[in-house]
Amino acid sequence: MLLLAWNTFRERWQVFAGAILTVCLGVALVQSSLLALVAAATAPIPAGLAPEAALALQGAYDGALTLLSMVLALAAFVAVFIVASTFGFTVAQRRRELALLRLTGASRGQVRSLLTGEAVLLGLAGSVLGIALGLPLARFQTWLLVRLDFAPAGFAAPWRPWVVAVSLGTGVLIAVLGVLAASRRAAAIRPQEALREDAGAAQVMTVSRWVLGLVFTAGAVVLFVLFPAGDAAMPVWFVQLTPFLVTVPLVVGFAALAPLIVPLAAGLLGLVCRGALGELALANLRSDARRSAATAAPVMVLFAFTAGIGGTLATVGEAGRQELHATVDGDFAVAADRDATAAIAGIDGVAAVSAETEAMFELAFAEAGASWYVAGLGTVVDPDAYVATHDIAPVAGDLADLSGASVAVSPSEDYERDWRVGDTLRMRLGGEEFDVRVAALLPPTVAGPHYLLSPDLLPEGAASWNHVVRLADGADRDAVAASLNEIGTVSTVDGWIAASAAADERLTRDIMIVLLGMTMLYTAIAIVNAVVIAASNRRREFAAARVTGLGRGQVVWLAFLESQAVVAIGLVLGALAAAGSVLGAAVALRHLVGITAVSVQWSLLVGLAVGAAVIVGATSLVTALSATRTPPIRLVASRE
Amino acid sequence: MNESPPAPVELAGVTRVYGSRGTAVRALDDVHIAFPAGSWTAVMGPSGSGKSTLLHCAAGLERVTSGSVRIAGNDITGASDAELTRLRRTEIGFAFQTFNLIGSLTAEQNVAMPLRLAGRRPERADVHEVLAAVGLADRRRHRPRELSGGQQQRVAIARAMVTRPAVLFADEPTGALDTKAARDVLHLMRRMVDERGQTTIMVTHDPAAAASADRVVFLRDGRITDRLDRPSTREVAARLADLEA
Repeated sequence: MLLLAWNTFRERWQVFAGAILTVCLGVALVQSSLLALVAAATAPIPAGLAPEAALALQGAYDGALTLLSMVLALAAFVAVFIVASTFGFTVAQRRRELALLRLTGASRGQVRSLLTGEAVLLGLAGSVLGIALGLPLARFQTWLLVRLDFAPAGFAAPWRPWVVAVSLGTGVLIAVLGVLAASRRAAAIRPQEALREDAGAAQVMTVSRWVLGLVFTAGAVVLFVLFPAGDAAMPVWFVQLTPFLVTVPLVVGFAALAPLIVPLAAGLLGLVCRGALGELALANLRSDARRSAATAAPVMVLFAFTAGIGGTLATVGEAGRQELHATVDGDFAVAADRDATAAIAGIDGVAAVSAETEAMFELAFAEAGASWYVAGLGTVVDPDAYVATHDIAPVAGDLADLSGASVAVSPSEDYERDWRVGDTLRMRLGGEEFDVRVAALLPPTVAGPHYLLSPDLLPEGAASWNHVVRLADGADRDAVAASLNEIGTVSTVDGWIAASAAADERLTRDIMIVLLGMTMLYTAIAIVNAVVIAASNRRREFAAARVTGLGRGQVVWLAFLESQAVVAIGLVLGALAAAGSVLGAAVALRHLVGITAVSVQWSLLVGLAVGAAVIVGATSLVTALSATRTPPIRLVASRE
Repeated sequence: MNESPPAPVELAGVTRVYGSRGTAVRALDDVHIAFPAGSWTAVMGPSGSGKSTLLHCAAGLERVTSGSVRIAGNDITGASDAELTRLRRTEIGFAFQTFNLIGSLTAEQNVAMPLRLAGRRPERADVHEVLAAVGLADRRRHRPRELSGGQQQRVAIARAMVTRPAVLFADEPTGALDTKAARDVLHLMRRMVDERGQTTIMVTHDPAAAASADRVVFLRDGRITDRLDRPSTREVAARLADLEA
């Protein structure tokens, strides 16, 4: 069996090269993310650092850790998804060969072990390459993290010997898992299929496809419905996880159901596609729904994740912007290096001014004998001034009580802690540890602040202040602005909110680069791969079309049309999966903070769609050209 | 062993219906036939007469709707997949119109494959002997695409013969070959029957191929309508023309 596996491998190396490539890139991606994750988790905090600096460093590492665990999860998911779909597809293309083996006396178990043997070989080869490729990739990934400020300067992910074992194991495991379902299907191939001239994929929608597709789609729907209706004390940051809760299961479900959706979509496209070639292209799509689905799947993943994660983050950002607009009741924002309340209040025409500065602190928790600290970012404000310039009503307690050692907290920060007014928290701030009282509970918030600190908690040396200034009725805006200009950097509140929204967008973009950049590059390669593998089996079919009277150009154009239709299907499914996540986030936000906002990054998505269409179109043009180079009659006449 | 051994393949009252009530098609209709050991039977008939269905049912590739099929004394009517796999390894050989060799393996490896699948260590000498018997001793290391159509078909026959099966099923074995190559393959099959006593069942369209067999069975609308023993090509062609008229 191993000999046969090895021989098949040698014979079909073009197809298998694609499979090896997917394993290799997947392993490299997972390994690199894992190394970076471990490095972030074990990063030492140098002794002798000021408490504030140490806290900031730890915070940076914690942030990198969170981001990297998502990168790792996404990389692992995409690797398994792509490898499974590639392998499943190659098995589907070899139906006839496998049926022949059954006919010559192979048992179902032998077909399974043949495919598993192949998967082990492919997994090993891919992993070895992946381990090597993972090294420069890890360096690039840490460089990117530092470059985009997600990790402190000097962050490095050193090579660890055990990662070889993990990567080898991962690669082989992914390959074997990927082939598992396919080999079960292959073992079910009936021997007489070898006798048929046209031994195409007989039954596309297998029971397992139905089950997988329906279970995951239903699961996504249930999560979508339950998500916003859940515990109202759910923290706002949790909303950002909707892509993982809704888009991921939808992607799996759609991928499984895709052979069912493809003919439907082909029917719809038939309304626009006219002419003999258009009809033939759609007929091809329908008749080989499995192939169409296999090519559409990576397009869908690419689009679903980019649109889903990007859209969700952008929607949260948009909700934050609207919340700021609703909350901040002022005309100007003044940035200064000191608390300039007194000076600003003295200007003619200023009705109210509130100064705020940020302070990092830690809260001590103890439970069941264990104790730990959780870092937080608080805003130090004078409660009276703050209320005068912000439309904010505490859920419980009174902001006027925010004096001495006290804080106001928003439940949106952490859902596990059921804080009440009057509770005592243990706080570490500026190198000291003391008790603070919860003076008020703030409503859930997207944009923050999540903690308001009493002015008496102001740490020494705060050097970055922002002032919100509200003008009196009938005040001369320009005159006030001119006076404010002598105190600090002035911007209108609208401009200030826009700037903070822009900063937010930049952060979203950076997060997406780190989170999706390499994974999506991987998916793009997988798309090319799928197109090449699909075309490798179509030489005879193309030849038959040419013998029927199509010119070479027409056959190539046909392949191109098909590829564009497949991209369209992938994009629509991906958009649906992404819409589930973005809408889920929007509904959850509306439930939490009462703001209805949806934001879609149209330019990014249009660019992505065009990019996918170009990649798939160009690949299918090239493969169709090369597949039609031989005069058709030789291919039609030749057997085997 | 003086009394005649049981026929390697025996069909009793075999009916095969495709589709359900409204659109049901009787591909085989109460077929009784035994294929005696050491004989070569050709199955002929117009398109859609049930030739292929007969072959598939006799080989255990398709289940019969009613009736029973016995191969080498085993009733396979309700046999499990494992049982059928065992039969395919030991009692049944196949040759097809489209050779169906495994492209990645050499002639030798293709021939040895059924033995390997059965978990037996193929004796090099056995494999060589079979390849020599089909006249390809010098092409052992060639891959299918390096062989002509006739040579590929001979490799396929060698592969089918290597397990010394009780019966060889051939589905249009000359259908894809030119006249000369077809004649060679038919000679080879004749020799296998005469020298090795290889029971052979062949479906064909070609009167010349059928005339190489010991007897010809004619099918029409799923029923056996006629038989000829040791016919000439001309007789077969005439009978076939009558059948199609």
